[in-house]
Amino acid sequence: MDSARLVTARLYHRFGFGPRPGEYAAALRAGTSATRSNLLTVPSIDSGAQRVTEPVLTDLGRFPNANDPQLPLFSANRRDQIRVLTSWWLDRMVLSDHALTERMTWFWHGHWATAIDKLNYALPMYVQNQTLRKNALGNFRDMSLAMIKDGALQFWLDGQENTATAPNENLARELMELFILGVNRYTESDVKELARSLTGYQVVRSSGVLTFNSRRFDPNPKTILGRTIAYDALSATNHLVDQSDCQLFISERLWYRFISSQNPLPRGSRIESAFNQRSISAAVAALADFEYLSDAQHSLVKSPVEWFVSSCRALSITPSQLTNPNNLIGYLNKLSQVPFNPPNVGGWPTDEAWLSSASAQFRFDFAQWFIKQGDISPIANLAASQRVEAVTDWLGIAELSDRTKFALQGAATDPKRFVLLALCSPEYIVSA
Amino acid sequence: MDLISRRKFLALTSGVAIGAVAPILSLQDVAQAAIDRPLPANTPILVALTLYGGNDGLNTLIPYSDSLYFSSRPGISYPVETLLTLDSSLALNPSMGGIKTLWDEKKVAIIRGVGYPKPDRSHFSSMAKWQTGNPLSHISTGWLGRWIDTQPTDPMLAISLGSVLPPLLAGAKKSGSALPLGGLVIPSGQLALDCARLSTPSSSDSKLMALAASTMKNLFNISDSITPVLKKNVPGSAVELPTVNGGNAGGDSNLSQQLDVVAKLIDAGAPTRVWSVSLGGFDTHANEANAQAALLGSVSNSISRFMTQLKSTTRSKDVVVMVYSEFGRRVVGNASQGTDHGTSGPVFVIGDRIAGGFYGDQPSLSKLVDGDLAVTTDFRSIYATILEKVLKAPPEKILNGWKTKIPFYKAV
Repeated sequence: MDSARLVTARLYHRFGFGPRPGEYAAALRAGTSATRSNLLTVPSIDSGAQRVTEPVLTDLGRFPNANDPQLPLFSANRRDQIRVLTSWWLDRMVLSDHALTERMTWFWHGHWATAIDKLNYALPMYVQNQTLRKNALGNFRDMSLAMIKDGALQFWLDGQENTATAPNENLARELMELFILGVNRYTESDVKELARSLTGYQVVRSSGVLTFNSRRFDPNPKTILGRTIAYDALSATNHLVDQSDCQLFISERLWYRFISSQNPLPRGSRIESAFNQRSISAAVAALADFEYLSDAQHSLVKSPVEWFVSSCRALSITPSQLTNPNNLIGYLNKLSQVPFNPPNVGGWPTDEAWLSSASAQFRFDFAQWFIKQGDISPIANLAASQRVEAVTDWLGIAELSDRTKFALQGAATDPKRFVLLALCSPEYIVSA
Repeated sequence: MDLISRRKFLALTSGVAIGAVAPILSLQDVAQAAIDRPLPANTPILVALTLYGGNDGLNTLIPYSDSLYFSSRPGISYPVETLLTLDSSLALNPSMGGIKTLWDEKKVAIIRGVGYPKPDRSHFSSMAKWQTGNPLSHISTGWLGRWIDTQPTDPMLAISLGSVLPPLLAGAKKSGSALPLGGLVIPSGQLALDCARLSTPSSSDSKLMALAASTMKNLFNISDSITPVLKKNVPGSAVELPTVNGGNAGGDSNLSQQLDVVAKLIDAGAPTRVWSVSLGGFDTHANEANAQAALLGSVSNSISRFMTQLKSTTRSKDVVVMVYSEFGRRVVGNASQGTDHGTSGPVFVIGDRIAGGFYGDQPSLSKLVDGDLAVTTDFRSIYATILEKVLKAPPEKILNGWKTKIPFYKAV
């Protein structure tokens, strides 16, 4: 396979959400180094993202009682806000001119996986999303310190129930296992001591506002990972981020999502050393290394959201403008991935999990629906004989197999069918 | 939530790589195999039910005569008068009426205090230990997967309901198959032709692209005119049960639906000796009593309904159901009327060929280990018994030399 085409396709599909029409061919002309630095550089103004109107979310207050006449209206408002929030983020992923920022926000959402299912309010999830975006390429320490005070995360992992008299270990355990250190890099005693350090917070569920109640806080000394002081949430989080296991773990997670879920992070990688000051952008730059990007064995399956968003960018679709936004959520739900609603605190699965006969069927249904509403002129405006040739650059596919070329040739006179097959081809579902 | 919930566990056990890519079966495949080569009569069949999230054993099998139980768990324990008493010291959760009836019929073995050395309180690591059957080192094959390795190749031999295969059924050379629930409509006409072209294997495919192509191809194995076997109603009387949602730490949510499919296919004669089903939602860190009762009610009602359905078939006495979870929960409740991750818990083994009663010692509430229940029985003893008696295989090879067994299986 042509190495420049492969590297460029991976840069677009993994460090962004796929190319817009014309971008892939232009990137090939510019060369991989220029493309890499272009995609990794945060622009001072993101006019694409600015075109997306921020969602109007209000604090809806407590759930009315079961027989309260206000309940139906309340429920409708609550569902509306969740829908608006979800399509707002999808719009940003599609329209942003700096896709890496959205891509990293998406990564961190899966990392600090918080599900709206338990909160049932949009506002706290929006606040969390802003925190993740603000820190998406910043310093992991700042992010961790902000997240430990995030109302949605605290509520999701029962932090508001964690008190000096009866510690609840849910948040403490996941903070070490899934967010900062990785499994088995601490003892059970560390979990218990960390839980005591995190006591004292209460959350207003409908807004995510976090308050500290010193009477619920355990001020005594705690021993965490061999060091004993009177930790609180911030000092304990700092202590975890200080550990070399944090450096290893975050490097492992980045590798797993951006390079390969099949092959482990190489020992002593440059990613790890780049992350020694906990700079996320430095780690991401090390991750987007030509050695990894040109290694044919590191293929990754696009998750349903990644596949949908990259299709929207190619077809100039704005998700919130699709007819009946509930359909959109319904299709994503059938494919088992709706933003703001990861299946559990471990985030979404990878690779094989997205490939089943059921998902193949749902992907066809979904694509048939949105292709009708998309702009397929980059294909439709060409002569039928030129379409197969043009589709790889349009979608940012490094190379098509003879199998897929043959299937596409059979549909070359029918542009909608042609695009359907291209979007559902193994070469587009998988980032080679 | 129907297909995703078990994936949450699979997502996090990425270290436990699945050896071979699991075949995805269609209902029609299994139904056809049931007709072509039915399982020989009297072959024992194992149904493994995994409760994801860490089922609270102390609120499942309740030491109701121990005052420490009530004093440790204000707000989480159940009133004595609602409990289903089994003997002078232990009772079942009030929601488990169906299991209680089976217990009274002497068809339920309850193995107490089950766990493994050095308990791990991570959902994902602990479930990996239970499913691989190896608590000592990190390996990638499941204990039933290693049994599959010893058998002639047959994609129908071991089937997991749902679209993703649990490590339990992953062998080194072979693996069980996944059977997704829910009907699929196969593409027809022009689209069918297109799909067939698009799903042809290509020599240039990477492993994942080949999988994308083959899963698309499998769509065609599913016909919209299902065989008469599948058109039949569920054996016995089918009463609709409410579904209980799967929660935070893995497991599917539609247990009764999964078991309905299993009952139907067992009745039809599917050549399948191991079935894997699951229920999620047991991670009850908060407001446990009601949530757990609803979940255990679903387990109990689904199993009871399943056993009743089997009664009208010729294979009723062949089926053994094993119910387990990755760990029990802490003895003392937390401030949220819930419990945090703990250690040992009871395992239920149910069937006509089971010698009903208690096995293993009940962990003492006054002799806790670091505030947790002691482990009195190693899960490998249960696995060894099942391998030898139900699956007719020498357990030592599969369980790394483990020999101890438990006499809960009676010859019929």
